[in-house]
Amino acid sequence: MRAALRVLAPLLGLALAAAGVLVVIEVVAAWVLPDTVGLLVPWRAWGVTLANLSWNENPVPGIAIGVGVAGLLLIIVGLAARRGDVRLEAPTTAMTVTTSPRVLARLVGTRVRASDDVLSASVSASARRVAVAVLAWHDAPPDLREVVVGGVKELLDALPLRRRPRVAVSVRKQEGVR
Amino acid sequence: MSVDLTKSHRTTRAPRPTDARLRRRSRSAVARSATGDRWLLVLIGLVLLAAGIGVTLLSYGVFGTARAGRPLLDPIIVDTVAADPVLWRAIAIAGGIVLAVLGLAWVARAVRPEPRPDVVLDGGPDTTILVSSGAAAEAVAAPAGSLAGVGRARARLVGSTAAPALRVTLWLTDDADVRAVLRRLDGEVLATARSALDLPALPVAVRLEVERPHPAPRVA
Repeated sequence: MRAALRVLAPLLGLALAAAGVLVVIEVVAAWVLPDTVGLLVPWRAWGVTLANLSWNENPVPGIAIGVGVAGLLLIIVGLAARRGDVRLEAPTTAMTVTTSPRVLARLVGTRVRASDDVLSASVSASARRVAVAVLAWHDAPPDLREVVVGGVKELLDALPLRRRPRVAVSVRKQEGVR
Repeated sequence: MSVDLTKSHRTTRAPRPTDARLRRRSRSAVARSATGDRWLLVLIGLVLLAAGIGVTLLSYGVFGTARAGRPLLDPIIVDTVAADPVLWRAIAIAGGIVLAVLGLAWVARAVRPEPRPDVVLDGGPDTTILVSSGAAAEAVAAPAGSLAGVGRARARLVGSTAAPALRVTLWLTDDADVRAVLRRLDGEVLATARSALDLPALPVAVRLEVERPHPAPRVA
């Protein structure tokens, strides 16, 4: 969403500027040359079309719904484009320490995959929650989930996180031989 | 560290900022702020959403079937504009100019590179010492990269010349003790930098990354 914001912001700015320039050009042109039909925009033809089209005729509702959906998408992009950093405790007030959820997920994943009983693991992390999905070998011990949870919690304890995320671990066993 | 000596009449230093201001500035230094862009996007989105919902309701006769049957370019509006064309032209031109200026200002703000302020030191009467942004950042990055547990480090000065801040990115090794790295960064590297740059209250934003393991050679 951050990338979408970086692209959308200058594009919308350009669109606003272009609309403003067009309005000025057309109004000045219509003022100076009263007989003009529009320099860049055929606004006289548009005016006739708009005068013959009522609010309840197609395609007005369709366009209105499209505009509303576009607005909703912009709102979603604007609200979702905040940084999802994971904050850590800093030694002084003049310092702010952050890392990305991706780094936290990598650290957890490395710790979990180090176990011989784990075939593979996928990790999703945020400042509030760390979720680990483990695919274990068929002969893994029954308490593997507790072992993984303990390992992840030990890792999180070693990190000076400002907010300790909740840990959720699910274990699935792989069929077949190791 | 490159040093540029220029004449200046600056005699007083800015007062030392409070802890709350330092904390706020260090938080701002984490990354380039996109707050303005986000709120403008939300504002435009709200306007479009409100217009879309309003016109949809109008189209489906929620505000009355007679109103829904009126033309988009309503004769009442046409008559109002025709009654005082000069006024409405002036309003349209002023609106267009405002829209164009706001749009261009937004574009300029969105594509402008993040400033890298130089540090200005007071070298005594009539003398100012200018430490370039790159030199100051390198003076932090080099010792930070040599700390135990740090694979490499990058630093850059952000903010303004009047209120600079430091952004440091550390790529930690697998065996890094994060608390010890941060303690040594603050106590050794940043303390030296603050003293050298004569900035006792330099806010710092530290970004932690993990050094990627080097892939093993495919051929022995």
